[in-house]
Amino acid sequence: MASAKPPASTVKPVPRGAAAARSRNVALAWIAGVVVLAVVAAFVVVYLTRSTPKATHTTGAPSDVVQAVTHVPPATLAAVGSGNGVHAPSPIKGAPALTQGGLPQVVYVGAEYCPYCAAERWAMVVALSRFGTFSNLGVTESATNDTPPAIQTFSFYGSRYSSPYLAFTPDEIQSNQPSASGGYTTLQSPTPLETKLWRTYDTSTYTGLPAADDGSIPFVDFANRYLVAGASYPVTTLSGVTRANVAGSLADPSSPIAQQVDAAANLITAALCEVTGNQPASVCTTGAVPKAESVLGTSAGSSGGSSTPAGGASPPAGSSTLPGSGG
Amino acid sequence: MTGGGPRSASRLPMSWLPVASVPLSLAGVGVSTYLTLAHYTTASILACHGTGLVDCAAVTTSPQSMVFGIPVAVLGLGWFVAMSVLSLPAAWRSSWAWVAPARLALVVGGMGFVLYLVYAELLVLHHICLWCTSVHALTFVLFMLVAVGTAQSSQGLRPEPAGCQPVRQTRRPARPSARPR
Repeated sequence: MASAKPPASTVKPVPRGAAAARSRNVALAWIAGVVVLAVVAAFVVVYLTRSTPKATHTTGAPSDVVQAVTHVPPATLAAVGSGNGVHAPSPIKGAPALTQGGLPQVVYVGAEYCPYCAAERWAMVVALSRFGTFSNLGVTESATNDTPPAIQTFSFYGSRYSSPYLAFTPDEIQSNQPSASGGYTTLQSPTPLETKLWRTYDTSTYTGLPAADDGSIPFVDFANRYLVAGASYPVTTLSGVTRANVAGSLADPSSPIAQQVDAAANLITAALCEVTGNQPASVCTTGAVPKAESVLGTSAGSSGGSSTPAGGASPPAGSSTLPGSGG
Repeated sequence: MTGGGPRSASRLPMSWLPVASVPLSLAGVGVSTYLTLAHYTTASILACHGTGLVDCAAVTTSPQSMVFGIPVAVLGLGWFVAMSVLSLPAAWRSSWAWVAPARLALVVGGMGFVLYLVYAELLVLHHICLWCTSVHALTFVLFMLVAVGTAQSSQGLRPEPAGCQPVRQTRRPARPSARPR
């Protein structure tokens, strides 16, 4: 028989083992990709099906806690002063006066799930209690799955406030209870006026924050003269601290909690004094308030790290169009 | 590709792999640069932005946005720069033996880190950032390109130009058994 020799000059042989190894490696690469996608899909499934621990419903505030927060000794407030690193309300210039029933109106927009709102409420209750009386204050905590979680605090939902000096209209727009559609269940809807204020003044033009932060909460409008957008102090101050311990700390000027909460309360008090014409004098002309009033208008915005132009911003002349939806 | 010294005996992957990996890496450099700038210039606002899943500020200002004191955005930028270099056509053609393993190790490490970040976003923070998600998607596509490309070039010989058909040798060449008498 004659030998059949292939034309070796035209084809290089592909070793069978090498080709098989290459095919196996390619298959492994694709399998790795599938595994990565499967892991991501597993994360998504766990996220969608997770059983979110429910935060506590709003309940009536214990009387001793209310007593401690609504009656912080003036000497403690005076000793704490404006604090260190606590942000003062930002001024709004040129806006029409905001009144209700002939009194300067203070509008608050927040939510029970929001840890920053949780922090701000402590200071607001301390400050507002110097001008009037709360009743039916509730207690709640911020959402357990937010960061930082479960900040114990008050809730303005269902509360009442009476004062001869100012009107306070709070809106807790959402609870801390997860809703089936995502987010949290709705609690209160702001009035059209409150919504307009929120959408107009909780914007970068007035807050000095990036436009991406427009509509963030907490938002407080002090009679269209000052605003707060965001917590006045770091919320981590209250992380893991019980409601009773926070309340108990407020009378101690050496407490880190008092140095943040009481200082924020003094700055809020100063803004309230500005809108009430320094009434009552027993609050507005004594202690740390006069000095805190001098801080207003020269501070660096109401939110951490932001820079608000000194003197605040003026509303656009003739503006009748509301910015986009907030919150 | 063959040669002396520390060279690998590998074949080139499909030509579009290097071509695709370069723009993907450069896109990652662009997005990471933006996120790095945002990290250093955006104020950490003490406020809640909303209750939806998409909340970039909640992610980029979270404790998980730093790893060992280094912003994740900076780590991502460095990773994409390294990938851009290792994805250059010259790098894909390189005969240096360490290039392909280094590229593969880098992309596997990056993919693993992305999985951690996705976990942190969904299951720790409960928010996602779309800019971050775009980086994650780029990383995954790069991971697949590099993994498949490396696998294709891992073994065997480079095929001959188009038109050549491999010849299967089904039997040994016959040896002349005897002289014809």
